Amino acid sequence: MTQNLIRKLLIIGLCSLFTATASAKTFIFTAIPDEDETKLVERFRGIADYLSEELDADVKYIPVKSYAAAVSAFRNNQVQLAWFGGLSGVQARSLVPGSQAIAQGTEDQAFYVYFIAHESTGLDRQDSLPEEVRGKTFTFGSKGSTSGRLIPEYHIRETFGEAPEDVFSRVGFSGNHTRTLRLVESGTYEVGAMNYAVWEKELENDNIDTDAVKVIWKTPGFPNYQWSIRGDVDENYGEGFTDRVREALLSLDDPELLESFPRSAFIPASNDDYEPIRKVAKEIGIID
Amino acid sequence: MLSYPTVRTSLIFLAIALVGLLFADIAITANNPWRDLGNFFLGVLTPNFFSSEGLLTALLRTVAFAFVGVTVGGVCGFFLALVYRFLPVRVFCAFIRAIHELFWALIFLQFFGFHPLTGVLAIAIPYSGIFAKVYSEILEEADPEPGRLLPPGTGTIAAFLYTKIPDCWVQLITYTAYRLECGLRSSAILGFVGLPTLGFYLETSFSQGMYSDAGAMLILFYVLIATIPLWVRPKLLPVYIVGAPFFLGDGLPIVWGNVERFFTEDIVPSPLRDGEGLAGLLPWLNELMVEQALPGIWNTVILTQIALVATGILTLLLFPLISNHFGGPIRRTSGHVFLVIARSTPEYILAYILLQLWGPSMLPAVVALALHNGGIIGHLIGRQTNTIRLRSDAPKGLNRYGWELVPRVYRSFLAFLFYRWEIIMRETAILGILGIYTLGFYVDSAIQSIRFDQAMVLILITAMLNIGVDILGRYIRRKLALQTMPTC
Amino acid sequence: MAGFDLSGLTASFGGERVIGPLTLKVKEGDQVALVGKSGAGKSTLIRLIHQRVDGQSSLVPQELGLVNALPVFHNVFMGQLDKHATWYNTVTLVRPFKQDRKQVLELLDALRMSEKLWIPTASLSGGQRQRVAIARALYRNAPVLLADEPISALDGPMAHHVMKLLRDRFTTSVIALHDVEMAMKYCNRIVGIQNGQIALDEPTDQLAAADIMSLY
Repeated sequence: MTQNLIRKLLIIGLCSLFTATASAKTFIFTAIPDEDETKLVERFRGIADYLSEELDADVKYIPVKSYAAAVSAFRNNQVQLAWFGGLSGVQARSLVPGSQAIAQGTEDQAFYVYFIAHESTGLDRQDSLPEEVRGKTFTFGSKGSTSGRLIPEYHIRETFGEAPEDVFSRVGFSGNHTRTLRLVESGTYEVGAMNYAVWEKELENDNIDTDAVKVIWKTPGFPNYQWSIRGDVDENYGEGFTDRVREALLSLDDPELLESFPRSAFIPASNDDYEPIRKVAKEIGIID
Repeated sequence: MLSYPTVRTSLIFLAIALVGLLFADIAITANNPWRDLGNFFLGVLTPNFFSSEGLLTALLRTVAFAFVGVTVGGVCGFFLALVYRFLPVRVFCAFIRAIHELFWALIFLQFFGFHPLTGVLAIAIPYSGIFAKVYSEILEEADPEPGRLLPPGTGTIAAFLYTKIPDCWVQLITYTAYRLECGLRSSAILGFVGLPTLGFYLETSFSQGMYSDAGAMLILFYVLIATIPLWVRPKLLPVYIVGAPFFLGDGLPIVWGNVERFFTEDIVPSPLRDGEGLAGLLPWLNELMVEQALPGIWNTVILTQIALVATGILTLLLFPLISNHFGGPIRRTSGHVFLVIARSTPEYILAYILLQLWGPSMLPAVVALALHNGGIIGHLIGRQTNTIRLRSDAPKGLNRYGWELVPRVYRSFLAFLFYRWEIIMRETAILGILGIYTLGFYVDSAIQSIRFDQAMVLILITAMLNIGVDILGRYIRRKLALQTMPTC
Repeated sequence: MAGFDLSGLTASFGGERVIGPLTLKVKEGDQVALVGKSGAGKSTLIRLIHQRVDGQSSLVPQELGLVNALPVFHNVFMGQLDKHATWYNTVTLVRPFKQDRKQVLELLDALRMSEKLWIPTASLSGGQRQRVAIARALYRNAPVLLADEPISALDGPMAHHVMKLLRDRFTTSVIALHDVEMAMKYCNRIVGIQNGQIALDEPTDQLAAADIMSLY
């Protein structure tokens, strides 16, 4: 056993020798994987280049495979900045004392969820979540998503007074919004809930077969995406670094980059803006 | 026939699976599954090898993680094998190998993050447990006579090096090389949780419907595995082992404080963390059991039993494909290619592909498990039939299959099947991450909502379930006097 | 300790006694041949003596106990593993030292198989394997030789050569032999075993071959 342990320690030592040399003072950020990865990588590499220039620092984006991985990386100080959804932001900031929301998109003050349905259901757009969705198959986005999980679940419970598993014949988690769209478009699921901005962008790019899938309900607005930064960034990257990051994000005016989000501009945000999200998450039991 | 214990056992398992089918969620929910399947095969036929800049790097990382993981696992496993006779060691090894590589990766991701160590340990730890068991079995088989003849006073280490190792050397090497192939598969699927191996890019292309890219990656992966005998040479091994750590990539630096926090805070059950004490712990555990663990166990067991029987049936259908007793050389070659593809594709990737195509239910999981495991056992049984000499007037066709071959190989068929029972269950649990409601689903959900205390309890339950099935499988094999060699 | 005095030797197999109880006293200089029908208990007796003298003997068992995967050199060298430190033995496994190579080569030369030094024992013939086991016993150089049918796989001239070698190198020995002629030629004391008991124990020069034949 002791030999075994020594071996392990040796290997650990060796591995870290090879690897720990990287990125002494690189400023690293991530984003929740809410859309197709190719698009995310393209978008956030642009942001990384922009921030590198504005901050005169080495800035790097790393893609992750799940919302939780983004939160963990932020919590573990492997990334210092992150583009979170409403819920993941609340989770992340509650785990990192001193961290703060610094910027959100103009559209994120009042964000919406679209409930979408396959044409075979025969459902049309209505003013409330239609009773007819009961018994259909339904997909959320990611388990940790705000517009793909939290808000739709909240409204399903409000409308039916039951848990989603009891309302629908089958409940799935597609993983992200683009996939929710594709799965409902192809009829794998009859109904789904997704981020309205992703829908609108795909629609604009002519990527939706509108004969196969349509929006059946738009939820009331809620606060969503934001840039969150760790509280110890000033300490590690120099006095006033947080302010410089915020400044850089707020003054971002490259139309192409903004369009890739898609947001018209970034505006200041604070932790308090997301109090409603925290309350809903607690009510549903997603956070303690 | 019913007087044969092997036949009776088979029928009992068949009956359990049929009853399980009544409760299982088996359906194709996709609207047009065959079109998607067609698109996928079209993608495999029109591979795009130049899509992603990261493809070659991903292959390199896949190999590097496999090499480092298997090497570390092999060395640790070897030392554990030396003390394997002690009960605590055996229990420890059974425990670490009962937890799937992906679960280990999910655990390490929480405190090592995207550091290469996460991937290395995720492979090395469960492999240590497996290596310890198999190595100790091999060493036990060594001829004890030369050891008895040594002059008294010979050092333990010298005695071991001279009398045990040379005798077992070939078997140790063969098994380790075989494990390396398993390691490549494990390494590839680690990409699905975010490590920079093949699975990472496979998931990306698949989820976006870029089937030609995905096809290219799968083809490269098959080529990599099929050519192992060409590029894994004994003389090159030291080069690979020394070189591999340099190709793991940088990842992100480890913050050691996170490790301490994980063990002293994150995994402490929340009632204890919040100071509610034991009074709060019981309701917490109760809720966890009723709402997550029990449904998870139920679905895992049902899916495992159905997949086990499906594997068995598929094996019996597949082995004639490569048997010398049927068909011509062309049929057999295509049979070989099919079985190689079936067994080289990790269940997880097969299940992922089928889930994308057919929609969520237990069906894609059953098919994936049956294809992969049926491919492995079918290959072994097919090879075994090739050593059988039939009398020259033996019947042909179906009669030959039913009267001459199946009765001869049935015992070893059952031996392999029961050996893989525990492996099938381990995989079944992990497939939950893909959205089937087995234990993995609840583990993933707990991790997604940053509740590591719940995740750890659920992983422990999964491990216990695996150990239970392992013991039961061994009991049945002993009862029926079935012997087998290890497979992965 | 060159001779030994063992009493109460017994061995049972499956609840049935196959040997003894018997007493055997061997003085230094005794070169004992164990003779008797096959199944009389000769091999068992050799094993018993080996255990009782606490391994202070050079043993050539009937099944030889060679490590097939190792070359001849290492199989012979194993006779003196206790004489060296672990590191020395480990290095030898990879690259033997010159003085050891020389010693082992001399022994093999005496057994007329020096050209086989680096051949894996697995690829040797039965007679050659037997001589490797004998070389190991010689290299071990314990005060007593215990050998169980050491020439069973050797042809005539080689059998005589090996028996002569064993007689010259070991002053004290117990050798199980089925060949009565060999026993009388190379041993100075004959012990006959019958049904697990000593049925005959005389110096060779007081015996005729016919006396022994009564045992068979």
